[in-house]
Amino acid sequence: MENAKTITIVFDDEQPLLQAVKKIRESGANIIDVFTPFPVHGLDPALSMKRSRIPLVGFIGGAIGGLLGFGFQTWVFTVDYPLVFGGKPLLSVPSFIPVTFECTILFAALSMAGAFFIKSRLKPDKKFEPVDPDITDDKFLILVDGETSAEKIKTVLSGINTIEIK
Amino acid sequence: MDEQFKFTNQYRNVLAIAAIGGLLVFLASVFIFKPDASRVWANVLLNNQYFLGISLGAAFFLAVHRIAWSGWHTALQRIPESLTAFLPVAFILMLLLFFGMHDIYHWSHYEGYDPILEGKEAWLNVPFFFIRMVAYFAGWIALTRGMRKNTDMLQDSEDLKFHNRRKVFAGIFLVFFGVTVSASAWDWLMSIDGHWYSTIYGWYVFIGMFVTSLAFMILLIWFLKRAGYLEFIRVDHIHDLGKLLFAFSVFWTYLWFSQYLLIWYGHIPEETSYFIQRREDFEMLFWLNICLNFIIPFFGLMRLDAKRQLNWLAGIAGVVMIGHWIDYFQMIMPGAAGEHAGIGIPEISLTVAYMGLFLFIVLKALASRSLIVKHDPLLEESLHYES
Repeated sequence: MENAKTITIVFDDEQPLLQAVKKIRESGANIIDVFTPFPVHGLDPALSMKRSRIPLVGFIGGAIGGLLGFGFQTWVFTVDYPLVFGGKPLLSVPSFIPVTFECTILFAALSMAGAFFIKSRLKPDKKFEPVDPDITDDKFLILVDGETSAEKIKTVLSGINTIEIK
Repeated sequence: MDEQFKFTNQYRNVLAIAAIGGLLVFLASVFIFKPDASRVWANVLLNNQYFLGISLGAAFFLAVHRIAWSGWHTALQRIPESLTAFLPVAFILMLLLFFGMHDIYHWSHYEGYDPILEGKEAWLNVPFFFIRMVAYFAGWIALTRGMRKNTDMLQDSEDLKFHNRRKVFAGIFLVFFGVTVSASAWDWLMSIDGHWYSTIYGWYVFIGMFVTSLAFMILLIWFLKRAGYLEFIRVDHIHDLGKLLFAFSVFWTYLWFSQYLLIWYGHIPEETSYFIQRREDFEMLFWLNICLNFIIPFFGLMRLDAKRQLNWLAGIAGVVMIGHWIDYFQMIMPGAAGEHAGIGIPEISLTVAYMGLFLFIVLKALASRSLIVKHDPLLEESLHYES
């Protein structure tokens, strides 16, 4: 948990949450993060979030994996331990394809998972520090930084169905 | 909401000229160049199968979405539905094979002792071949009509029973289609190489059909949007069609490679003969097939933006359409026409003729009703769909 003062706003449905996000952003306050129990359609554009670059990591990881898988087999079967299987040439590309394919997927998946852990600073001994215990349950939550006073947020959000603002 | 496609005389004329002109050029080329009869009939079979595949792929698309209670496709369902209107015509065209049996299918007239063909005779004989053909088409036409009729009812009535009936038809269609799409692929395509067999062949043909159909739907949407229709089809619908085209192109490659790898690995002469002929005598097409159907859609549609850009997506869909024509060419021509095969005026003109006829029937069916099914219970969801 950051030491700086923050304001949390709790909702119990996605529609008021989306309205609130729009209003808070219009008022000029800065939203640090939003927590939802399930993916909410239209939330990313409402927060003007940039598109994730995870797919790019996946592509690069997959390309590296594919090349490594293919290269390793080529080296093993032609240089390191040449064996003839079923009368096929040493460098028989079709038989390398399944392993190349699997390596591509493995590297793409692991590189994306790894990039996600690094980017969100998750590590094995990371302690769970919830902003509010409700985010592990069924509540929707907006975290606004302390530059704006809670009073102002309350006036901005008048008319929207919030559970609490603190 | 009552937007209706107008099948104007201009469209009619262009398509009629394409159909009749293509046919005349084809007939002229047959009389002038005198290609081998096997090449002529193999061409007819190739185009029958290609356009039938677009219709059946569309029917499968509808059935599978309906049975899964899919909402997103509701706004564009009239497009695949009008594609299925070609099935009765495809049936008549397929019956033409009766006159070409001798030239395409070696098993229909072999002489002397041929233990392999004799073993298959219980299935591969001319009367049963046509009985099956009639049975396949009867089922496909009846079941797709059942789906289409009930959709048409939903244009005027809010009664949910039509929606539910459609789902029943979709379920029966999927079961029937699952069996017959494989069996028809054995009959019409695999039996050309009568001594050869491949157990994955039915699936491979079926996925080819589905990919062609998706590509054709994308092209049709592109065309209609350019002509000012289908305002209500969102970029999210396009995105999903793009995802399907991407995914099933990859799946097609998976099946293509599965078939190739097992035959290559097994190294049994009666199996490898199929690929040897295609790789040695049709080498360029063999590699072009993989390039157009896998490499271009795979890298061309990998990025998110590519799938949301209708112009780009339509370009890739066009490439895939050509690719699958070549794929069918690879399946049919080497076995049926052998050294007489080639891509020249007969092939191109007949495909143009078929395309004209196909589009004429499809657009006529599309124009017969409003472009949107007004009382479809899932329509509202589809109009606000976000992918």
